Amino acid sequence: MATTTTVMLETTTAADGAEQPLLKVDGLSVTFFTPTGAVHAVRDASFEIKRGEVVGLVGESGCGKSTMAYAIMGYLPGEPEVGGAVYLDGQDMAELGPAELRALRGNRVAMVYQDPALALNPTMKVGLQILEAISEHLTLDAAQAAERMAELIESVGLPDPERIAESYPHQLSGGQQQRIVIAMALACDPDLLLMDEPTTGLDVTTEATILDLVADLKGRVNAGILYVSHNLGVVARIADRVVVMYAGQTVEEAPVRDLFKDPRHPYTVGLLSCVPKPVADTGAVTRLQSIRGSVFPSAQSDPGMCLFSDRCPMATDRCTSEAPTPASVSDSHESRCFYPDDVSTDLWDELVEREAPHENGKEPTLTVKGLHRVYGKWQRKYLFFGPKVKPPVRAVENVDFEVGAGRTVGIVGESGSGKSTVARSIVGLVPRDEGDLELRGEDLPAEADERNADQKASLRMVFQNPTSSLNPKLPVRHNILRPLQKFTDMTASEREERACELLESVGLDASYMDRQPLQLSGGQQQRVALAAAFAGDPELIVADEPVSALDVSVQAQVLNLLEDHQREKGTSYVFISHDLGVVRYVSDEIVVLYAGHVAESGPAEDVLSTPSHPYTEALLSAAPVPDPDATPTPIRLGGSVPKQHEQFKGCFFASRCPRKIGDVCDNTPPPLQTSPGSPTHEIHCHIPLEELARLQDSSVATLG
Amino acid sequence: MTRFLVRRISLIVVTLLVVSTAIFAITEILPGDVAQMVMGQGATEQNLKHIRETLGLDRPAPVRYLDWIGGVVRGDMGHSFVQKIPVTEVIEPRLANSLILAAFAFLVAVPSAVAIGVWMGVRQGSKTDHAVSVGSLVAISLPEFVTGVLLIIVFSSFLGWLPSSSAILPGTSPLTRPLILVLPTLTLTGVLFAYIMRMTRANVIEVLNTQYVRTAVLKGLPMRRVLLRHVVPNAMLPTISVIAVNMGWMLGGLIIVENVFAYPGLGQLLLTAINTRDVPLLQTLALIIAGTYALSNLVADLSYGALDPRIRLT
Amino acid sequence: MQLGPLDAATSIASALLRALASLVRLALRTPAGRIGLPLVVLHVVLALFGQALAPYPPTQFHIEDHQLEGPSLQFLLGTDQFGRDVLSRVMSGATSLISVAAAGALLGIALGTVVGMSSGYKGGRTDEVVMRVMDAMMSFPSLLIALLVLTSLGPNPINIAGTIGIVFIAPVARVMRSSTLAVKSLEFVDAARLRGEPNVYIIFREILPNTLPVLAVEASVRFSYSILLVASLGFLGLGVQPPSSDWGLMISESRIFITGAPWVALAPAAAVASLVIGVNLLADGIKQARELPKREA
Repeated sequence: MATTTTVMLETTTAADGAEQPLLKVDGLSVTFFTPTGAVHAVRDASFEIKRGEVVGLVGESGCGKSTMAYAIMGYLPGEPEVGGAVYLDGQDMAELGPAELRALRGNRVAMVYQDPALALNPTMKVGLQILEAISEHLTLDAAQAAERMAELIESVGLPDPERIAESYPHQLSGGQQQRIVIAMALACDPDLLLMDEPTTGLDVTTEATILDLVADLKGRVNAGILYVSHNLGVVARIADRVVVMYAGQTVEEAPVRDLFKDPRHPYTVGLLSCVPKPVADTGAVTRLQSIRGSVFPSAQSDPGMCLFSDRCPMATDRCTSEAPTPASVSDSHESRCFYPDDVSTDLWDELVEREAPHENGKEPTLTVKGLHRVYGKWQRKYLFFGPKVKPPVRAVENVDFEVGAGRTVGIVGESGSGKSTVARSIVGLVPRDEGDLELRGEDLPAEADERNADQKASLRMVFQNPTSSLNPKLPVRHNILRPLQKFTDMTASEREERACELLESVGLDASYMDRQPLQLSGGQQQRVALAAAFAGDPELIVADEPVSALDVSVQAQVLNLLEDHQREKGTSYVFISHDLGVVRYVSDEIVVLYAGHVAESGPAEDVLSTPSHPYTEALLSAAPVPDPDATPTPIRLGGSVPKQHEQFKGCFFASRCPRKIGDVCDNTPPPLQTSPGSPTHEIHCHIPLEELARLQDSSVATLG
Repeated sequence: MTRFLVRRISLIVVTLLVVSTAIFAITEILPGDVAQMVMGQGATEQNLKHIRETLGLDRPAPVRYLDWIGGVVRGDMGHSFVQKIPVTEVIEPRLANSLILAAFAFLVAVPSAVAIGVWMGVRQGSKTDHAVSVGSLVAISLPEFVTGVLLIIVFSSFLGWLPSSSAILPGTSPLTRPLILVLPTLTLTGVLFAYIMRMTRANVIEVLNTQYVRTAVLKGLPMRRVLLRHVVPNAMLPTISVIAVNMGWMLGGLIIVENVFAYPGLGQLLLTAINTRDVPLLQTLALIIAGTYALSNLVADLSYGALDPRIRLT
Repeated sequence: MQLGPLDAATSIASALLRALASLVRLALRTPAGRIGLPLVVLHVVLALFGQALAPYPPTQFHIEDHQLEGPSLQFLLGTDQFGRDVLSRVMSGATSLISVAAAGALLGIALGTVVGMSSGYKGGRTDEVVMRVMDAMMSFPSLLIALLVLTSLGPNPINIAGTIGIVFIAPVARVMRSSTLAVKSLEFVDAARLRGEPNVYIIFREILPNTLPVLAVEASVRFSYSILLVASLGFLGLGVQPPSSDWGLMISESRIFITGAPWVALAPAAAVASLVIGVNLLADGIKQARELPKREA
């Protein structure tokens, strides 16, 4: 039975024919035609969604996830060739005329978009934007419609609907904007809700609250939900069933637990192996896996073989000569693989235990003491005169930490926490206003331009966006030779040789020297950026969100390269990220920043276990874990990081703290407390540590 | 709002001060001194000395600048060298004439350019769009004096429908003979229309590609509503500043057009002032043109602020 | 291997030729370019050889028998009020117009690029002051500044080109500044700073290549404005001075007898129009052709 290629739709309809799926996607393919050739965005996708069910659609970028969502909506740019069919309640969507399609959109099928700031009309009040969707499809009088709008705003968890409705999008935070988009989608009680990466641009604490809202919707509305995401953790948290896409094909489909615990497609296993895991019970950290190569190019037409075969560790001759079709593994589990039974979770290699933790040198490489930075100047009411009205923004206040030789300090925090300012102050791109920076005990000037060549060579930076950190108009060669020319006294031919070595050390061969950055994939670009940072043998590399822009399979490659370089050369890192999982994986010490203040700092294990600062606790609880069985504490933060114009009177976290104890939090700056067991573990909080530990242990089942 | 106005108006004052210095410098300090300009190349040293004294040109330049700008602030623009009457009196009737012509051109060009621009943006790539694109490209390529002369050849020499000259007797209003306004208005409109139309079209195309328009379409709204409520308001924002910049262009165009059609406005006066070396008149005219331009930019900023909620006029 | 100045010159020349050839190839990919390019080439040929190819010397009078004659085999485009051959005058007018306009535009583009990019890169107070000055310069129509300056200095080719150069600083600087600001925010500029590259290197080696598409569009706009401006100045009597022929002046002088002898006005009008239309079509064509490959998904 397992060998017959039964397509899932046939099995369900054949079962009794009574229950019709809400949505049935049957062999869908979408091909765009561009001046440079055909692009096969979706090749062969089949799945179903039932009412009241959340189906997660995962895969790397370029796998056709979003195109699929828009294809269901019947909204595709240009005039693509569409094959297969999409049925809504048995109705073939392709047969609908423009007017019928319009009557469906926003009414029976609604969509939530990736970037709410761009999805809302900037010049129209949000209430009106919701109202539009209501009055277009429902026959209500003005008063009823307005009432429905207020209800909708309230139902997505926004307080004070009247005020919100009168706001323009830019007056709302990202989380609030996304709630408005969701309210708009719910305007006419849709049967099918398509959510395209709805939390991708949001902070982790905001993401958690939006996910709660989606989970809540599932219980409240009788709609089917398609949740598109690249983040396995998010899907694990909210989906009932998961569909995995690769190169425009659906490759595996299963109930969420089966998919994560018993994956039956090598690609799924690969994706899961790439995600940094929490410290295992043994306390050992395992090396990350990565999927070699890159996604089968969408420009290439169907080669009549398994599209994953060139990256698959278990590919056979059959895989490269015959195209697999989805086959049932069990009743509800399908895999587009010839050998689903041979797929095991350790397929991608044994999980290698990482060598001993990094040595801690005697003398710290970098010391940061009392770092302060404000942005902007006092603005006067009129151009040159009048009272001072707008004070500068305090981005970072009084931040201290040390980076030991060969060690990694991770800095975490939401956007607005000041972590990027800290990074840029260290390298001198944003001069500090106050405080000391010492490199090997030697004072560092505030501005990069004032530092000498030796200091510049010792202190390098890796940026978040690899595409913009390499000059698109200059070849790879330039990016690597230039630092060598600046930082070493090598001759031209020595530089050339060294540059090739550097490229090889990041897994790229010498032929990449003359490539243009735009011809490289994101992962390759970031590896070139790493090679450029390694040139000149730096003592410390500041990495500002170096893997946030990368797909999970590529993320692992970059993290491993950083790790290898550190082992070999003893380089220290300051690693900045919003992703707790990544920071936990790379760091020896962690600094948690909030509103420019250090909330907590210390050895990684200590910071991530109880007692921890309430903010750290909230971050941990919000971080999505790719494990459907994880039951993190539901600690949620409302609002967003405050913009700070004046010094906080009390605790910097008081306005959002879920464990606030009273007036003391608002009026007195929190004291610094040190763990008795770990003298370098510091927490800024009014709650005594024993009390904090007791509170947290009682509400925590497991914290990873 | 008050804060915004005060800030902007102080900026305009600063700009105008810089501009007035520049005008003064160009007309008075550059080689070819004023006395020489007044008297022409054949003047004797004695004549020049006399002229300098009577006109107060023997005083140092900064003193004369302060004197001039002080007068301007009080509304005293000085006396025309040539006509020997206050500059304000020379300018007044001409100003009205130019304003009438500019207003006509503006009223014809802007609404039609915006409407057609939106239409072409929506019908991007259609045959009409291509035709209009080529037409507008030709229109922005033709200098006003070429357009004007072509119009004269067609409509007055060949068809005989309209007068080829727009000269009127001093003291009469052009509104009493509206026919003479047709060709100058059309000439002035050509470039203005084409330019604004092209910008509007480009903006509409850009807005049509935004995600919020996609949201509106996927809400199931009819295309008409998507266009009127979502596309046009947002596409108009950048168009407004283009229109303001074009005011400056149009003022330059006025100089040419008035001279092509012998229309008695500021542009023609300016050329007369240049040819007769009437420095006070020239300075005042330059200042008026710069001031008008600054003012139209202020109006653009204000309407921008009124239409775009992201810009707070505080 | 030591490179002599001659080698440097030939290598620069060959690089320029290659760039030109690739532009021509780009232009020929779109209909606009296919019309614009021949028009521009025609005018360039006229500018270079027009005087030599003209059937008569442009200043030769045929007062006694051929005043204001219509087009004939002898005078293909007729004659003007002094009996001069209109065709010859139009053909020899291209040289001064195109060279002055091109020199002015190039000067303005070069100065504006330097000012705009430096100001944008530097930022802060300097930038604010520079931009205020640019705003002030922009609050005059270019034609008015040109008129004022040329009245004081006297109209000759160098003054005209110089004035156009100055007038164009502000608009070019504005465009190049905003484009520099956009590029400056990209991280490779930070990376260059962290390597310790000097500002001049960052502006011209790292940023400039990324603003070239914007500069190319702006340059083409400036070239066509420059032609319009020179022609308009000629029309107002402040262009190239008689007896050399100037298209603007020819139109201005023909204004009096336009009803009786429209050809005297039509010929130079067609010449100006075809030149500017050619430049604009060519620029449009190149712009469209550049955007073509960008449309891939």
